[in-house]
Formats: sequence, C-alpha cells, structure tokens
Amino acid sequence: MQMKRVVIAGVVVLAASALAVANPNPAGGTISGKVTYEGTPKKMKPIDMSKEPSCAKMYATPPTGESVVTGPGNVLQDVVVYISAGAPDDAAPSSAAVFTQKGCRYIPHVLAFQVNQELKIVNEDQTSHNIHPMPKLNREWNKSQPPGTPPISEKYDKAEFIPVKCNVHPWMHGNFAVLKNSHYAVTGESGSFTLPNLPPGKYTVTAWQEEYGDQSQEVTISGGETKTVTFVFKAKPY
Amino acid sequence: MRRINFARIAVNVVLAAALPLAAGAQQMESHIGNLTGHSDAGRQLYFRYCWGCHGPHGNGMGENEPWVTPQPRNFVAAVFKCRSTPTGTLPLDSDLFNTLKRGFNFTNMPSWAALTDQNRADLVAFIKTFSPRWKSEKPGDPIQIPPEPTLTIGSIKHGQELFQKLECWKCHGQEGRGDGPSASTLTDSNDQPIRPYDFTSDNRSKCGRTNQDLYKIFMTGVDGTPMPSFADVVKPEDAWDLVHFLRTLQYNNPSPELTMWEGTPEGKAIVAAKRVKQTYTGSGVKP
Amino acid sequence: MDVRGTGVVGGRFRLGTTLLGSIALLVVLLFSCSSASALPAFARKYGMPCSSCHEAWPKLSPFGQQFKDNGYQMGNDRDAPIFQNPSYWPVTFRITPQWHRESTNKAQVDGVDGVGADEAKVTTHGFDWSGLDFHTAGTLANNISFYVLPSSDNTGAFHFESVWARLDNIAGSSWLNVKFGKFELDNLLSEKRILTLTNVGGFYENYHFQPMVAPGVPEASYSFGIGDNQVGIEWMGHSKDDRTRVSASLLSSNDGTPGLPTSRGYDGFFAASQAFQLGSLGLQRVGGFAYIGEAPTYFQYTLNGTGIPGTGIGNKGFQRYGLIGMWYIKKFDITTMYFHGKDDATLATTLALTGAPPTPPTGAHSPTWNGALFESHYNFNPQLILINRYEMVRMSQQVFSTNPGNLGNVDTLTFGVRYYPFISSRAGFAYHGEYAISRIRGASPVTLTDLVSSSLLAGIDFDF
Repeated sequence: MQMKRVVIAGVVVLAASALAVANPNPAGGTISGKVTYEGTPKKMKPIDMSKEPSCAKMYATPPTGESVVTGPGNVLQDVVVYISAGAPDDAAPSSAAVFTQKGCRYIPHVLAFQVNQELKIVNEDQTSHNIHPMPKLNREWNKSQPPGTPPISEKYDKAEFIPVKCNVHPWMHGNFAVLKNSHYAVTGESGSFTLPNLPPGKYTVTAWQEEYGDQSQEVTISGGETKTVTFVFKAKPY
Repeated sequence: MRRINFARIAVNVVLAAALPLAAGAQQMESHIGNLTGHSDAGRQLYFRYCWGCHGPHGNGMGENEPWVTPQPRNFVAAVFKCRSTPTGTLPLDSDLFNTLKRGFNFTNMPSWAALTDQNRADLVAFIKTFSPRWKSEKPGDPIQIPPEPTLTIGSIKHGQELFQKLECWKCHGQEGRGDGPSASTLTDSNDQPIRPYDFTSDNRSKCGRTNQDLYKIFMTGVDGTPMPSFADVVKPEDAWDLVHFLRTLQYNNPSPELTMWEGTPEGKAIVAAKRVKQTYTGSGVKP
Repeated sequence: MDVRGTGVVGGRFRLGTTLLGSIALLVVLLFSCSSASALPAFARKYGMPCSSCHEAWPKLSPFGQQFKDNGYQMGNDRDAPIFQNPSYWPVTFRITPQWHRESTNKAQVDGVDGVGADEAKVTTHGFDWSGLDFHTAGTLANNISFYVLPSSDNTGAFHFESVWARLDNIAGSSWLNVKFGKFELDNLLSEKRILTLTNVGGFYENYHFQPMVAPGVPEASYSFGIGDNQVGIEWMGHSKDDRTRVSASLLSSNDGTPGLPTSRGYDGFFAASQAFQLGSLGLQRVGGFAYIGEAPTYFQYTLNGTGIPGTGIGNKGFQRYGLIGMWYIKKFDITTMYFHGKDDATLATTLALTGAPPTPPTGAHSPTWNGALFESHYNFNPQLILINRYEMVRMSQQVFSTNPGNLGNVDTLTFGVRYYPFISSRAGFAYHGEYAISRIRGASPVTLTDLVSSSLLAGIDFDF
C-alpha cells in the first residue's frame, strides 16, 4: 500500500523490494540526504573462496568483504536509513523482498523489508548453502538450500536488524533490516537516500550501519518541503 | 524440640531474603503424556541442580559458563537444539523432557534420569518461564515421520548419493569424521567455535540413539548451531535412505545398516579403510 | 578408623584398657575420621553446584547417588581425564575448625574411695579442629574410576581411609562394576556422608555397636563396624536410572586395617535397594543389607608367646542385618532403619593371644540385639537443612544370663543444623551447629550404672 523508494546500485535489479512504487500521497514532505564517514575505515580484505571452486571461478579477482563499503567522496553504502519514531506502523506490502545467493555472496548485502513482508531467498549457485539468520527477537531458524531447489519463503514478525550467515561458507555474511514502516532506504554507491511522501509530523530518522551502529536525528515535516539530513559516521580503522 | 522450632523459624526468616529470585515470575505448566509439571516446583529444582551453568536468570550465564563449551543453553532466547518441531519453532514439552532424561553427549549437560518424571516435568515448566515466547507462541507442529521402510542396499546407496548431493560432507567430512572443509570455521549462534558431529566416534548423536532421532536431527535442524534443516529439500522417503547411510558411517557401532553395507564389496572396502588402529586413550575411540 | 580394627588379636590392646578409655578413644577416632565424600574436585570438573549431587553436603541426592554408582561419571563425554584442562587435579581437602563442649556424667576419678575408685562428672570445652581429609578421586580413563583418601586425625597422624580402583560399566552394562581395594560398604545410609559431626552424634551407633560381655567388660576379641571402610572386592550393579541397586562384596576379615594383622578369613556383605516414585512426594527407597563376618579366636603360630600377625585361626562368626527405608515427603524426609546383630559366644567372650584354641566360659550365650534408627531432615532449601536423629540399641540376649537385661543398651539423640551461606561449584562451606546426647546402660566405669555423654558443637565445616 505504502510507497517507498530505495536507492540501490549495481546488481540490485534482483531486489524486487527496491523498486519504487506509485505515490498515492504526492503532497507529502521528503527527507533526503547523504551518509558519509570521517576517519579511515578498515580495509576490506579479499575473500578466499578456494574451498568453494564453483564460486571462486566466477571472479576474475577475488571479491572483498562488504561489512563497510565506501564510495568516492567518503560516502557509505549499505546504510539503512529509516523512520524509527513518528510514523505509524505500516501493513506489509504484498511484494516479496528477495535475497539472492550468487557467487557465494549475498545480494543485496543489506536487505531492508517490513515486518510480516514475504522474504524470498534464492540460491543461484551450484553449491549448497545454509541460510542462518541470527535474530535476537524473532525466531531463529536455519535451513539448507541445495542448488536448484525452490526459493525459501519466510517472514519476520518483529522489527530487528538480523545478521545472516552461511555456516558452510564462513565468509558469507549479510543483513536483514526488518522495519516497522515503509519509510526506509538503503544507501547505494552515491551514499544518498530519499524518504518521500512523509505526512506532516515530527520524525526521528535513524541511520544504521552494521559495523558502526546507528545515529538518529529529529526532523519536523510541516508540508511538502524537502529536508536535508546528513549522517556522518566515525570510521574505525580496525 | 521447642527450641529447635524457634531456630527453624529464625533461620527461615534470614533465608527468605537470601533465596535466589528467578527471572520468570509467572506460572507455567508443562504437559507430557498424563504428567503435568508446575513451574513453582520446578523452580526449587532449578535452584538446586541447574543454575551453576544456566544461571539464576536462565540466560546461560551461570558461574561456570566461562568454562563450559558449548555454552549452556540460554532459556531466555528459547532456541533449542533437539526438537521434533520444524526449525525456528518452539519444541514440544516432551522434547525438553526427553532432553533432560537423555542429556547431551559431547557437552557438559548430563543425563537427569536419576530424577523422577515429575521432577523433570516440573523443570520443563520452569524453564518455560524464562522466555515470553512461551506465552506468545505455540510449539511447532511436530514433523511427520513416515514408517521406516525396509532396509536395502539400494537405500544405503541412495543415501550415499544424497550425502554428496546435499553436501553434508562440507562439514561432516567424506568419512563422517566431522572434518569437512568447512568444519574448522563453524561457529554457533553465540559465535563460539563448534564441531560437527563425528559419526565415527560413537553411536550417540546429540538428540538420541534411534533411527527416528537421526531422522529428526536433519529434518528439524539443530537450532542455534550451523546444522540446518533439510525439511524443505529432502523428501521423507529420501530422508530414510540418508538415515540408513549415516548409520554406516558409525563404524564403531554395530547396526543392521553397517552389517548390510559391509556385506557389499564396496561397503566393505570403505569401512575397512576407516578402521584405523588406535590406542585406547579413554576418549571413547576404541581400537 | 584403623585402630578400631587393629584388634586385640594383633596384640596391641590389653585388657587393662578401661571401658571409659576405649569409649573415649573410639569416639575420638570416629570423629577424626568422619571422612565424608564431598568433592569440589568433582564440582570443578563438571561445573555443577554442590547442591546438584548433595541434598545437603555431604548427603547425596538421587542424582549424586547415580553419579557415584556410575563410577563418578556423568556419562556425557566429559568423564575421562583426557577431556580436562591438563592443570586440573582431582583433589579436595576438608577440615572443620570448631568450638565444642564435651560432658560425661561418670568419669573414673581418684577420690575418697581410693585411686580410680570414684566417679565424677567431667565437662570440658574450647576451640579445636577436626582431622583433615585429602580426597583424591575421579576417573583414570573412561569407565575406570578411583578414590584415594589419606586422612589425618587432628594431630596430623595419617591413615588411609579409602584406596580403591573400580572398573565401571564392564561390557557396557551398568550391572557390572567391580571395585577393588579399601572402600566404604555399599551403605544406603552412609556414615561417611553423615550430617552430624560431634563425638557423640557423629557416627551411627548401630553401625558400630558391640555388646558388653559383663558389666564393665567390653567385647574384646575382635573389632568391627559396618560403618568402617573394609578391604576387599565389590561387585555392584544398578539400573540406568539407579532405581534398582544391588551389590555383593568379599572382604578381608580385618575391619579395614592394613598389613593383614589378624586372620586369613573373609567376610561377605550384600546390599540391595529399590527406589520408586510415590506420586508427587518424591523418590522413596527401601532396601536391606547383610554382613556375614568371621573373626579368629586364636593363633596358628606364636612367637615368644604372642600370635604371629595374619595367622589367626579358629574363626567364629558374627552377623549384622538391616532393613532401611528412606521416605521423602516433599522437603521433609525420614530414614528408618531396623538393625539386628549377633555374635558368636566364643568370639564375644574370649581373648586369645596364644596358640591354644579358647574355650568360652560356661554359660556364655551368643549375644543378639536389635537396633532402630530414625533420622529426619527438613531440607528447607539447598542452603539449609535441619537434622534430627534418634538411635536405639536393645539387647535381646545377653552373653551371660547374670547380666542385667538392659546392659549395654544405647539411646542417642542428636539435633543439628547446617547452613550453607553460598553454594558454588568451587568449594563447600557450612556453618554447623549440633547437640547430641547418649546413654549407655550399665557402662559407667566404677558403679556400672548408666553412662551419659553429651556433645555440643559449633563450627565451620569446609572443603575446597
């Protein structure tokens, strides 16, 4: 029902949740901005996939870890920006959020979706994965997904940031951001985000990065204006 | 006698303040067959037997937690390993009850068979007071286990194919020794290193000795550990084939499956190659 | 404990020992050797609080009983020492500093009637300490367990209370366990795990009672106590859940003393018990035991007129039988025991240090007696236990019909409280308070009237 816009770069085509939908409330305000860092982020190391040749051969040069992904101009990617207070809870959209295992990586690395929204997990690799999200509030399950098996369909009924891992391939690491309302975005290559269609009101905007934690700012929307918010994370070199 | 009674009353008053307070104050019941367990009674038992590892708040942080691996179960998280219910769901009361009776091999958790059935039922009821999940959720529907088909060589061989196809060997190793390529990197949900089951060590897998127990382990997954559920990807009849093959990996444990497997030239060669002569170390590895 | 077993035949005791002296000595020795098995070494090994295995340290819980019967093993793969941190060492020390008051109504004293011809009430009190126990116990490998307990009295003089190894679960069966060495008999009511510590209340009268031959004359030709650790071999079997327990032992007839001081005879001990659940009350247990023993009455060879140790012959029999019930009503429990004993007439009356077969005095009967024990506990919680015990021994057949019918009858009443201010997996600690009083008919040293002794004790009992 509700609208959302998620700015994601690259391969993101797969992420159905990322598609912008029609805007039934064009009169609302917008919060947009950028997420950057200061300091020196730790260097992401190349992943050794030699134990899984079927994945290793998909890369000319080994991919690097994705827990901190930066871009030109000190921007941070894969940061979830969402309204943590001020907006009512929304019903889950009927579309599914899709999480794909390809080349022994998770695409997207951070998948944001809503409470009770369908989550589809797809294995496009020629190897067995196990999908082991490790929630604290939601149910913890752990399922095997050999190649060629149908997508796994799941739901989470509590808002939570959930680390996801594959025990068979210890380098595989991703995140689910289970959110209460539809006002959220995940930053892409440009590090920017837009939360449109916000009715007038006082909001807490929160940015969450898996290593650096979260930051919040208060923003008041009174009409159709666009407010700019900037989040700056302190990067840790280790 | 009179003096003693006074003494008793006096000490009671002192002690009432010192008594450990449990996190879960609410009442819970457990139902196992026609047994009903009560959390009030279970609390007394918990603070006699269990708190040293599982802690006074049931969060697995008892005073011995730093010295116990795998870590003691955290009842607040309510994630349980041995279930007859699907992955991610709460176990049946009887699952917890049976776990208490059986204990966990390869861990510090002993068998509590010396307690009475009523004691164990009471403990199950008390354990359920630690997590609100027991109020808000129902245990999962137990997985359906079809009757075990007749054992055949074909069944064992099909199981062997499944072991390859499902990549069980990635962790458990080609010979089932728990030494697969991913074994050394495994961690449990507390980020603690954990070993995959070594089939050659014993016949006692974590959640019981029977073929049905083995069936349940991979169809429900061992929640909180790297062992996933295969319920969505293995058909029930295939699952029995896998069980039959897994039994042949336990070459120290006489079983009909092992006997039949050794009756074939292929199986005989495989088992013979595994039988490495070892000295008796007391570790359970017999020559 | 060993001096009790040294025995007259070994030649170290003489008849000159007064009754009071022997009772006092006995009592001191018993006290110094109250070596209960409560091992923080096990708690450390398995990471469990004392209260898991002990209803109240040192009394076992059903779980602790199963652990013991299983050869100090949980059966969960952490049993063999190979799984322990290499620095782990299975040793526990136990000692009890204390204040105590001892009182006897009729001690032999010098007086107006001559040297040692009067009796007086003697009371003493002060700060003191118990003997020290070094428990070392555990497993040597899977299904091989051991227990070595050097134990000292409070002067530091050591003896070996327990020395054994046990093959557990032979052929994978819990019904096949064989223990070899010096060990406590398979007593359901363990004297090594007694909850009381005083000179009067710190042992079970019934486990050590031996009749008086005549007023002022103790039975002197042998020494025995079912509560004493014995030397031999024991087969023990139990169901997996420990509800059913059976054992049989073949023991050297030396009452657990080292060096084969007396005979080449053997005793047998048999015990069986069954536990059952009674509704929500708890686990009830009933059982029985029998000790069939023998002791020599003279020596095969002598040297300079004294018997050569270990060559005792002319064995005569003695028997002890008992029925026991342990009843649990929630936090209250009571142990009831019926006890029956019988000694051969020759054994009861005759002291032989020479090579000649003795002849019992004319008119000597084989003494028999019955005993009863009621020990109740209120286990308020794992930290507090209240203890009450009443024991009685009643002679049914005196050695001589000229004896008063009640000669040697014993009544003992004990009250105790133990409070454990903390329960951990590293050390045991209890505040101990106790009062015990006993009366032995016709046992006072001069007037041969009732001897009444009492003990009051306040102490700190700890092990680590």
